[in-house]
Amino acid sequence: MNAKRELPAKENAIFKNILRNYEHKQYKKGLKLADTILKKFPEHGETLAMKGLFLNNLEKKEEGYEFVKKGLRFDLTSHICWHVFGLLYRSDKNYEEAAKCYTHALKYNKSDMQILRDFALLQTQMRHYDALIETRTQLLQAKPTNPPFWIGVALAYQLVGKYDIAIQVLEAHESALREQSVNFEQSELLMYHNSLLEESGDIEKALEHLETVEPKVCDKRAWKVKKAEFLLKLNRLEEAETAYRLLISENPDNYSYIKGLIAVKGLNADNLTSEQQSAMLKIFDDIQSDFPRSTAARNLPLNYASGDNFRNRADAYLQSALRKGVPSLFVDIKRLYSDSAKEKIVEELVTGYEVSLEKTGHFNEEQDEKVVEPPTAYLWTLYFLAQHYDKQRKTELALKTIDKAIEHTPTLVELYMTKGRILKHGGDLEAAARVMNEAREMDLQDRFINSKCAKYYIRNDKIEEAEKILGLFTRPDAASPLQDLTDMQCMWLTLEEGDSYLRQGQKGKALKRYHTVEKFFSDIFDDQFDFHTYCLRKTTLRSYVDTIRFEDNLKGSHYFVRAAVGAVKAYTSLADKPSGANGMDEANMSEAEKKKARNKARKAELKAQKENKPPKKEQVKEEAPKKVDVKKPTDEDPEGEKYLKTTDALASALEWVRPLEQVAPKHIQTHLLGFEIYLRKGSMLLALKALVQSWTIDKTNPQVAKNIARFKEAVSANPPANADVKAVIDSQLATLA
Amino acid sequence: MAPTVTTSRISLGDLTPNNIGQLRVLNSTLFPVNYSDKFYKEVLEVGEFAKLAYFNDVCVGAVCCRVEPIDTNESSSKLYIMTLGVLKPYRHLGIGRKLLDHILEHASTNNEQTITEVYLHVQTTNQEALSFYKNQGFEITGTTNNYYKNIDDKDAYVLTKPIHQ
Repeated sequence: MNAKRELPAKENAIFKNILRNYEHKQYKKGLKLADTILKKFPEHGETLAMKGLFLNNLEKKEEGYEFVKKGLRFDLTSHICWHVFGLLYRSDKNYEEAAKCYTHALKYNKSDMQILRDFALLQTQMRHYDALIETRTQLLQAKPTNPPFWIGVALAYQLVGKYDIAIQVLEAHESALREQSVNFEQSELLMYHNSLLEESGDIEKALEHLETVEPKVCDKRAWKVKKAEFLLKLNRLEEAETAYRLLISENPDNYSYIKGLIAVKGLNADNLTSEQQSAMLKIFDDIQSDFPRSTAARNLPLNYASGDNFRNRADAYLQSALRKGVPSLFVDIKRLYSDSAKEKIVEELVTGYEVSLEKTGHFNEEQDEKVVEPPTAYLWTLYFLAQHYDKQRKTELALKTIDKAIEHTPTLVELYMTKGRILKHGGDLEAAARVMNEAREMDLQDRFINSKCAKYYIRNDKIEEAEKILGLFTRPDAASPLQDLTDMQCMWLTLEEGDSYLRQGQKGKALKRYHTVEKFFSDIFDDQFDFHTYCLRKTTLRSYVDTIRFEDNLKGSHYFVRAAVGAVKAYTSLADKPSGANGMDEANMSEAEKKKARNKARKAELKAQKENKPPKKEQVKEEAPKKVDVKKPTDEDPEGEKYLKTTDALASALEWVRPLEQVAPKHIQTHLLGFEIYLRKGSMLLALKALVQSWTIDKTNPQVAKNIARFKEAVSANPPANADVKAVIDSQLATLA
Repeated sequence: MAPTVTTSRISLGDLTPNNIGQLRVLNSTLFPVNYSDKFYKEVLEVGEFAKLAYFNDVCVGAVCCRVEPIDTNESSSKLYIMTLGVLKPYRHLGIGRKLLDHILEHASTNNEQTITEVYLHVQTTNQEALSFYKNQGFEITGTTNNYYKNIDDKDAYVLTKPIHQ
């Protein structure tokens, strides 16, 4: 034991109080106590470290690190000092360094529960599952009476796919549990146990287990769904049918139940005979007659029916929706257009309605004379048709139709939104934004139309106007609308602004936006940390495992892919043509243009500086002790200069593609982007691999064809020296035809 | 007998600063008159005497009134209908009547001031409007020549309906 660590009895008592202060989050009190010890023993390492910890929690991070490091210097073998150091790194989200500190701490105190607990959280967060198993096992051995420790071990084994051990651990745990009345925690534990059996692949056993736990399960719906699924997988079709019919009777609008029933009947194959097809349609019709209000039973058969059968079903479906006034009808129907015969039938039907409604007030001319459709039916018919023509990119016809609708009912906001959309698709971005703004002015309290309008302005590179419009909905006390929406992790806006700046050649600002999106993703990933403790305690285990798996694939999100596309574009163009100091794209400009552009940029910068600097008087006020504002972030690099200064733009670009290669290998963009980078780096084999992958995913993608040509050109301009490499390239290229 | 409409839901809604844009669009479609910003500010203050009408959840009509003091009688006032209109495709569905009924009802139960009569101007040539108001118990009580400034038929009738509290 380090002699210097021992404190006299009085100080030792104070030190114990300090630890208690930390547990109770009494940071200021603790800081004071630490100072009383340090007055007498200024070199007491553990007190110094604790002081650093308090400072860190009091928003004085740098001082905090200073004191912790100082404490460590005086007492390198104290587990407290190392633990505290780890806590600081952890609060900084620097998990790698934190883990190192914990390892040191455990060297000097193998069985400290608190350190082990924290270490386990860290290992889960970093997905170090093998090490996690070890830590979790130690925790369980130290305190087998604590239920979360049992669950923790089972989870760790599950996450490395060792289901048999995970299940054994749970069984041991459950057998030790006292008999208790039905409660949520136990129910979740049992359903989690069941999910392990399912994942292990032993469905027979999973079903058996499900039956035995039934009286103790609260989540009856999940139980019934699992039972139906298991029976279907085990090919016990009669029982499976009963199970699915029961589910459908409880919720006839759930698509997956109906699809389950279809699968039970063996009708879920792609190529059905016409008998099979009518058998399937009969199932839908039976559900329909049993549950007349089921939309699912009317909607789903549209996918499977064909010919006149489809026509009759679509006719009834469309009429009912147009009569009712369902604004989303086209969005619902357009999926059927992958079949051009269905597209044609829908068009015939709806154009028929248009003519007939205008003339007679009926959907069809031969309909009953005593009832007429409401004028809104005609309105929604026109609305549907405008979207239909827009989808076919018949811009003029679409505009004519939507104008007819607007003339009929000029107060309906949706019509203007669709008109804006048609104009956008037709390429008139300015008019599109103007019409969107008209729509917005008709319904100022609708945030959706507010955002849409802002987006249309950004598409037209009018960012300032857009931010002003968005400001109508952001918090009035935020530094700026953009800041508020960034705090809210508003993905679409950040991406749209990035794309707009990229179009305008302002790569710094563009990259800044894309990296902001990256930050959103790492924040979302960090946010799961607290759940590693919470979910074990609350036994919400099935959703916890779902969350972990979701977080693992987080960057496969299309938002991240979009940001990666923009960032790689910006970085590769930086690599291709180094820009001027201000990040302007000058490669394609004449001297005069360059000068003009630089002047413009400088003026904008001056203006921005002026705006950012509040008048002197206010500044004095700000400096007055106003503790609330300490955390207010100031943007030190609004232009994104730091991204432009990258010395290796291709390496920076590659950092975007790496995560995609891991979590989105089936996404074509992953490989198109990889190709751009590898080709420029001259990594021909990697470029070839990316090319082959993108070709496998979608050989009709026009970019793939271009890339094949580019690759061939690069190879012939610079033939590989190594004969083996050349052979690989030749043989692979031969397959791309 | 007129045919029944398959789906017909009529409802009234409040006018707010957020949907006043709809009223602007309605007025510019329905009336040959340009209303001032003052008009749009005032109608936000009259409560139940300004309403939007919805047919199957689509905004298709509106009524806007103003309460006017009577010089000779301090304790009572008159209600003047500045605008009442329904988009053309939605006429003869009972929407205008619903708007009118609404303000007549509130005129007779109004607690703040006693309202003794409701009146309005109609172009002398507008047969459709004249028969609508006559059907609702209004009577022609006067004529104002050259009431409308920038349109062809400038003369207007004054139509009035007394209110029994």
